Amino acid sequence: MSVAVKPGAPLRVASRTRSVCPVCLAAVDARIVTDGENYWLRKSCAEHGAFSAIVWRGGGEFADWWLPTPKPTVPRDCPADCADCGEHPQGTCCALVEVTPRCNLRCPVCFADAGDGAAEPTLGELEREFRSLAENGNTFVQLSGGEPTVRDDLPEIVALARVCGMETVQINSNGLRLAREPDFAAKLADAGADFIFMQFDGTRPDIYEKLRGADVLADKLRAVEVCARLKLGVTLVPTVVPGVNDDDVGGIIDFALSNSPAVRGVHFQPVSYFGRNIAAPEDGDRITLPEVLRKIEEQTAGKLKIRDFVPSGCDHPRCGFHGDFVVLPRGGLIKLTKKYDPQAPCCGDAHLKNRNFVSRRWKRAEDADAPSDDADFTELESFASRVRTHGFTITAMAFQDAWTLDRDRLARCSLHVAKNGRTVPFCAKYLTAQC
Amino acid sequence: MSALKCVKCGVELKPKKTMFEYLGNTFSHEVPVCPECGEAYIPQELAEGRMREVEEQLEDK
Repeated sequence: MSVAVKPGAPLRVASRTRSVCPVCLAAVDARIVTDGENYWLRKSCAEHGAFSAIVWRGGGEFADWWLPTPKPTVPRDCPADCADCGEHPQGTCCALVEVTPRCNLRCPVCFADAGDGAAEPTLGELEREFRSLAENGNTFVQLSGGEPTVRDDLPEIVALARVCGMETVQINSNGLRLAREPDFAAKLADAGADFIFMQFDGTRPDIYEKLRGADVLADKLRAVEVCARLKLGVTLVPTVVPGVNDDDVGGIIDFALSNSPAVRGVHFQPVSYFGRNIAAPEDGDRITLPEVLRKIEEQTAGKLKIRDFVPSGCDHPRCGFHGDFVVLPRGGLIKLTKKYDPQAPCCGDAHLKNRNFVSRRWKRAEDADAPSDDADFTELESFASRVRTHGFTITAMAFQDAWTLDRDRLARCSLHVAKNGRTVPFCAKYLTAQC
Repeated sequence: MSALKCVKCGVELKPKKTMFEYLGNTFSHEVPVCPECGEAYIPQELAEGRMREVEEQLEDK
């Protein structure tokens, strides 16, 4: 089955790359075409026809995101049999380790396939994974799933990761068990968990009913409270879906800011179509990074501007953005985001810089001598304290699916999935074909 | 420690809250300043202490 390529205004080719056929996943040539405002990734498979997917809706004000970046040299059949081809210019910032395929929700937008029948790794297998990561200098691990907290021995896994040399242990979680069993959350904190990457799609019940199949808003709010008490940092992770919660982008940011320093930031993930989402999506089913940025500006009453954000420096610039802030008493913000430098090395130690940055911002930090709320936070001493305790990030990552996969972006990925001693880019690992 | 003097003006530096640009941000801090020419002195312990700490915090991703 093929997806019709829509006719449109005169187009020019913005770049050429490689991708996959979304039906058979065979590697194919692809081009990104633009009318100056919108960008589509287009490709053809000899067997399954032509495909087009919107990958960007944003013009000149997002020019930085399109500045030239080095072309990777990866195998022509990439990402077939993807596993450490050795050609990626980027190292691992964060290694994701799946500790279970099980989940206590069944969300239609999940990247993981929640294969309840699949086996869980044993503690021995996880130990080997952690040690392998540590031997390769990868000391920032995300424990993921499924839903990691369905494992009763998750505190032991966190402790094991620590013993094996993980300096930062992040738990990806929907927060349900943390909300309902605070003692379990306390065990995770005691074992050495640093922060929770918490699925948090909005501030209204209807959003959860649509995206998660149940109204779990109260659980989310409770989970934030529990983590706040335990000094477990929380970064809110909304999956942004057009027509479902893209009108609540500002609401999520307001909630996060009002819960600083317990909430360390918001990490937006525009919806992608993999895992269980394997029907061919229309362009209207997608929201791209510039649109998320516009909504941030529109929905935060002038507090945040598009110019407060820059392209990802660790991954490919069109894979994400970030903004760095300090939350002041009574809702003020100091904006710290540096100007984007496309000439800054994307390779070398960029993944290490990113690892240090997110660890620093997303972990809770206390200061017994913190200045009063009336302090002058431009004063060096006060600022130094406040940035540690109330640093706050707004970031985004646009995952790629079988329709949008751009090999040039894939090769710059620094979020890798670790399995059996090997690491592969996240979007290659979870790539799934259309049925 | 004996009083610091301005090399140019020969007068004793006085502590003064001073604004300065650092890594793209504006900060203030009390440092010894020449009351005549306004030259500020950044003590080594400040440069290697708080300023380095702030520099680490401002290291972007």
